Amino acid sequence: MKSDFKRIIEKWIPQNTKVLDLGCGDGDLLEHLKDSKNVNGFGIEIDISKANECLRRNIPVMQCDIDEGIKEFNDLDFDITIMANSIQCLKNPNLALQNILNISNKCIVTLPNFAHWSCRLDLFFGKMPVTKNLPVPWYETKNIHLCTIKDFEELCNNLDLYVIEKLYLNNNFKESTLTKLLPNLFAAEGVYLIERK
Amino acid sequence: MIVETKKILIDSKLKCASGDALESFELMTDFYGELNERKDNAVLVCHAFSGSHHAAGKRDGNIGWWDEFIGPDKTIDTNRFFVISVNNLGSCFGSSGPLSKDKNGERFNNNFPQLEVIDWVESQKMLADKLGIKKWHLVIGGSLGGMQSLQWAVSYPKMVKKVGILAAAAKTSSQNIALNEVEREVIRKDNDFNDGKYLEFNKSPVKGLKAARMLGHITYLSAKNMDLRFGRKLQNTDSKIAEDVDFEIENYLQYKGGKFAESFDANSYILLTKVMDKFDIAHGYDDSLEAALENITAEVLVVSFTSDWMFPTSNGKEICLASIKVNKKCSYIELEGEHGHDSFLYPNEDYQIAIKNFIESK
Repeated sequence: MKSDFKRIIEKWIPQNTKVLDLGCGDGDLLEHLKDSKNVNGFGIEIDISKANECLRRNIPVMQCDIDEGIKEFNDLDFDITIMANSIQCLKNPNLALQNILNISNKCIVTLPNFAHWSCRLDLFFGKMPVTKNLPVPWYETKNIHLCTIKDFEELCNNLDLYVIEKLYLNNNFKESTLTKLLPNLFAAEGVYLIERK
Repeated sequence: MIVETKKILIDSKLKCASGDALESFELMTDFYGELNERKDNAVLVCHAFSGSHHAAGKRDGNIGWWDEFIGPDKTIDTNRFFVISVNNLGSCFGSSGPLSKDKNGERFNNNFPQLEVIDWVESQKMLADKLGIKKWHLVIGGSLGGMQSLQWAVSYPKMVKKVGILAAAAKTSSQNIALNEVEREVIRKDNDFNDGKYLEFNKSPVKGLKAARMLGHITYLSAKNMDLRFGRKLQNTDSKIAEDVDFEIENYLQYKGGKFAESFDANSYILLTKVMDKFDIAHGYDDSLEAALENITAEVLVVSFTSDWMFPTSNGKEICLASIKVNKKCSYIELEGEHGHDSFLYPNEDYQIAIKNFIESK
């Protein structure tokens, strides 16, 4: 994970909290948070080689599908859940979001914005977008529920979720005048801190 | 790799959970590698139901049950770790059990104290004390050995740094107990069983033991694995080991069961299946798994196999979820495993990397 990105997430994570990272990959974010914020981190990862990398880093990990895993996590108690770049891979993102906020008080979601101008351009020329943060072609991608910034914020509203903070980032993980002005066109990535209303 | 096998006498009383006691006992033990000066590189490997202390290396034509996992540069690297493997009490490979004699010089036969997994842990704690080992770097095992590892982490939290629980469960299920009871019944109904006193009549219920093992063996495999390996293939007439055998799978079970019955003791079989039946880590904690796990300070790795129907993946997940709930450092790895329940015995790259990374992480 890019270090700029890690720093953004880090800011929203309080010290000494119990953190669940859904789709934690090789555990580098949790390792970073363990070092910088002394969090008690726990990851979920479906890919065995990535899960094994978590074990090497001594990051506790449960190797399972998020869609499946979340159902069994009902009575667990985390302070904060991170879902970095994985909500679009879930079978039921809406149900998952609600479940997550049963497990933890707050949730950080990051997602690629499918309405970014580069995606719009690809579609204008009749092609499925292949961009910097959506680099995999349509037939191989794990992204089955891509959405736009507008879509996601609408969903939060419909589910009665409150967006405490949000950031619109360009391809270099920076906020710019353009991403602030017209996020759904210029932001490549949306980053949200959410809780129940 | 330095390999040693020793029969170690523990000359103190073992009070069993049942209320019975052993005045003293012997543990047949294998040692692989060397204990370092700080005595902090010891690994306890716990064998499954019918296993033995012989975990690695070739001896008398037999290869240790975890040979591919223990040795120089292997999953548990004996250049770094000092591995101890103990034949469990009540078994029949050299440790005290039904075949040994009591203080009056009489063979125990079916009168050996009925043990529980916690008694094995106590016996091994006494062994560790004798060897001057204050803390295990790792206690690991599969199946009944995994239950034993879990018991170690719960009973002596300060003595276990890491614990590996492979193809195991926090308790045996009703189905596990039921299958074990059929196996025991088959042994008891052998005419040569003589209420467990068969050795006094120079007999052994080998037919019953063989049939029990044949049933047991089926529970260790997966349906898919059996289909792939044997399918509906017919057995060659010239290699049939029993007359009315038609299919390869029948011949295989006949062969495996027969071989097992030659080397295992029927009273041990009954005793050890009962040890398994009695296991429930939450017993004594108001049946709360979380309350039992609350004691643990070790880092935990649970591995389950989707092809295992004896201790299905839900059993492994249950341990991991309960651990997380009580803020333990627990990881869970789920692999398909080609060999059903027995998958924990077989080498597999992802499986071995998981164990190795877990053991060697700081």
